[in-house]
Amino acid sequence: MSVLQHLPLGRFIEAASRGSRQTKQTVQVSFIVMLLMAAMALFSANVNAEVPNAVPPEGTYSGIHVEQPIEFPHDTHADINEINCMYCHTYARRSKVAGIPPTSKCMGCHSVIATDKPRIQKLTEYWENKQPPLWNKVHDVPDFVHFTHEKHIKRFVIDNEDLEVENVSEVCAFCHGEVKKMTVADKVKPLTMGFCQRCHQANDGPSDCWHCHK
Amino acid sequence: MSFSKIKRRDFLKIMGWGGVGATLVGCDLPTTVTLEEGKEKVVSYLMPEEYVIPGVGVWYASTCQQCPSGCGIHGRVREGRVLKLEGNPASSVNKGRLCQMGQASLQAHYNPDRISKPKIRRGSSLVDATWEEAYGLIAEKTANISGSKFAWMTGSISGHQSVLLQAYLESIGSGNHFVHETINNAVWAKVSQDMLGDSNPRIRLDKAQSVLSFGADFLGTWGSPLHFSTEYAKFRTSPRGILIQVEPNMTLTGANADLWVASRPGSEGALALGIANQLVSKHGLSMSGLPGSVQSLIRSYTLDETVTATGVDADRIADIATTLKRRSPSVVLAGASAQGHEHGYQCVAAAMVLNVILGNIGKTIESNGEFAYASMAPVSGNTQSLVSFSQAAADKRFDVAFFSGVNPVYTAPKSLGLKESLANIPFKVVFSHFNDETTAMADVVLPLASAEEDWGTHVAPYQAGVGEISIQQPLMEPLSTETRGFGDIVLTLLKKRKESAYEGFADYYAYLRNAFSTIPAEHKNGASDDQFWADVLAAGLIDVGVKEASLKVKGVEFDMPKEMGNSSAMVLAPSARLGFWDGRHANLPWLQEAPDQISKVVWDSWAELHPSTAKKIGVKEGDMVKIASASGEINVKVYIYKGVHPDVIAVPLGQGHDAGFSRYAKDRGVNSLSILDAKVDRMTGELALYSTNVKVTKAAKTDDVLVRFGGSETQVGRKLVSTIPADVYERTEGGDHVA
Repeated sequence: MSVLQHLPLGRFIEAASRGSRQTKQTVQVSFIVMLLMAAMALFSANVNAEVPNAVPPEGTYSGIHVEQPIEFPHDTHADINEINCMYCHTYARRSKVAGIPPTSKCMGCHSVIATDKPRIQKLTEYWENKQPPLWNKVHDVPDFVHFTHEKHIKRFVIDNEDLEVENVSEVCAFCHGEVKKMTVADKVKPLTMGFCQRCHQANDGPSDCWHCHK
Repeated sequence: MSFSKIKRRDFLKIMGWGGVGATLVGCDLPTTVTLEEGKEKVVSYLMPEEYVIPGVGVWYASTCQQCPSGCGIHGRVREGRVLKLEGNPASSVNKGRLCQMGQASLQAHYNPDRISKPKIRRGSSLVDATWEEAYGLIAEKTANISGSKFAWMTGSISGHQSVLLQAYLESIGSGNHFVHETINNAVWAKVSQDMLGDSNPRIRLDKAQSVLSFGADFLGTWGSPLHFSTEYAKFRTSPRGILIQVEPNMTLTGANADLWVASRPGSEGALALGIANQLVSKHGLSMSGLPGSVQSLIRSYTLDETVTATGVDADRIADIATTLKRRSPSVVLAGASAQGHEHGYQCVAAAMVLNVILGNIGKTIESNGEFAYASMAPVSGNTQSLVSFSQAAADKRFDVAFFSGVNPVYTAPKSLGLKESLANIPFKVVFSHFNDETTAMADVVLPLASAEEDWGTHVAPYQAGVGEISIQQPLMEPLSTETRGFGDIVLTLLKKRKESAYEGFADYYAYLRNAFSTIPAEHKNGASDDQFWADVLAAGLIDVGVKEASLKVKGVEFDMPKEMGNSSAMVLAPSARLGFWDGRHANLPWLQEAPDQISKVVWDSWAELHPSTAKKIGVKEGDMVKIASASGEINVKVYIYKGVHPDVIAVPLGQGHDAGFSRYAKDRGVNSLSILDAKVDRMTGELALYSTNVKVTKAAKTDDVLVRFGGSETQVGRKLVSTIPADVYERTEGGDHVA
């Protein structure tokens, strides 16, 4: 019971809306489910606790699964082969957008690696037609929100002396979840203003309106 | 339900609670705040340049095309889109500044009303066609044409576009190049040429201690406004120069003046001669160098005579002369409202005579030197070309006419009858970005690439002693695949005429690239050809120097008609603004939305009227008046304002476009050029824009209101700025303190 009392109000609302969206559960979620959720939240907090000098944002979300032109396996790249997120999303530390890597970057490896796989053959077809794939956007914020990857990477990675840069995926996971366990990315964090706000409060981020709304 | 039952206080309470509710709930409601996943596409680069980072802008240099000044610009490009323009600090023209017209260039580029396909006339309407059809038709109509039957009207033009255009005219054997700009310095250029031997002398505002300007709106529309704005800033720094502006209605420059004198249009020359008389008779300055007839003309303009001729107070005239003498060196300028008369040349010449008497020639008026490559040198437009083209069209002298960078059907007063006489030209080709009054008369419309999509080289008409060629390069890929650059079109037309010299150039870029390969080695600083080209593109310009030249004062005889300035009839002043310019920018919402510098009116036309005149006519602000000239009439709302001569009604240029021009300019205001009389300056043939007599009467009020942005002329008792009459101050605070 004491665990529940410490759950923020927002968790209930998310649970409710998620329920009505997918499983038609009512707001009256059973006590056991609630406990399980709380346990899961604690567990995931423990995973994120690997990022020193940071309090991970709280909140989860269950987005719809978005089909992509090529089912890109994040797990193969980031988990099995341990490629750093910032190797492909190289713009994240330099720009407001993390950027989809240019097709030339994919082909840098895949002109020789795994060329027999159907997904790679599809990619090669795009490359030879000089057309980058049209990916479907999964993570986005409204136009009136000015979000910049660069500032967040600076705070949690570049200026964070205690963080091993190999663990950068834990920082990315703050807002994107454990993408390295997914194939194509799904949205698992709410990315709402409340989600941003609580993290900014916990990590002494700026709280002026104009920092994000300009 | 009645809204009046909710009191303001209740309303605020409800709003307050609503707001709190929104912050508590709204922040975490994914359904209302987050976006739908998977609905938008995100596209990566195929193979980006190394310096390209999505989300981070890259700046490229180019040249502004919004007015003929030729300012250098930098354009911020992000993800393949040009997002923002700024001035290029390396450009001697604008030194890093950019005006509102330049900023709004993006809205011309992204404008939803741009023409995206060539059009050919079929019967009474223009229908979409292919480029091959359009080129084929042009080739057919120009195949056996005699040179005298062909004409091309352009706006001010320079650089390699000018070279190609001349080549095309030569290929046809035609010398009929009409260069038209409504806003011009043509009379000033002619007077300077006649009296100083240089049509484009350098004005050293930075060296001057005082400026007397007869309607030269050098901060807004005269010469090179951005250049003179930076020079003006130097003029105003320590010791602070004194600016005196004489004009019928206040311009942006007039609003910045220390002394603003309202002049009846046409009396400027008499006032200049009266001041000259004072300088000679009271301050002992010499008239040597001036012809005897001009000397005796000056002697005849005694103080009494000048007061009679101009209506300006005797004390004021004496004060201006004293200021110019004390604050030397000075400079005297003349602009649109001084030159816009049948004796416009004489008015400007009288102003130039003041420069001679004050000894300004060689001090604040110098030579700009001569641009080294004559074929690329700027050709500046005027209105004499419009008048002579209209006449030639009426006389059925042309079989084929091209129009580019101009909209003469809009800018020509109805009294010239241009619209009607265009029917006498069987085949008309219009190069344009937008449908406008002139494309409506066309047989072929060629859609141009925007200034942000095109290549070009430009030589600014006014450069302070340097010879810069400014590069125009595309800031992004064309938005439409069916538009073509001006240079590309002319190059294709030349190839269609079997001009073998141009066969080797695949496109205009190849032509320009080659031109820069062949530039003399002295300009390349030892760089390789490719490095030189890269350097020029990065800098946005290259200074190829000027031939040294100096000014020589020549005696020019002129007279001054005595009866001018005495008439009491109302005169229409079609004043120009840095904004809509000659009307070409009325389709840009940013410029419609920007409050006028003087009246603060938005999205509309208005007529400036002096309070005493308004009282006489019986109108107040926002009322409609009918302005009737011998050539037509317009109905427009009144803005009552002290910065206008009581005999003048000023209706700024720009609005009153035909419906086809743009969704943003549609049904807005009136075109004051349309009702001008077809009078011209007798010496230069320039349209006398400030000499149309009109009758102003109250018209029926409409529901339409005059929308002005803020502003009130009273302080409504708030004492924002405390004032006290001088005599009261002396009586109450003690006269000893008054200097």
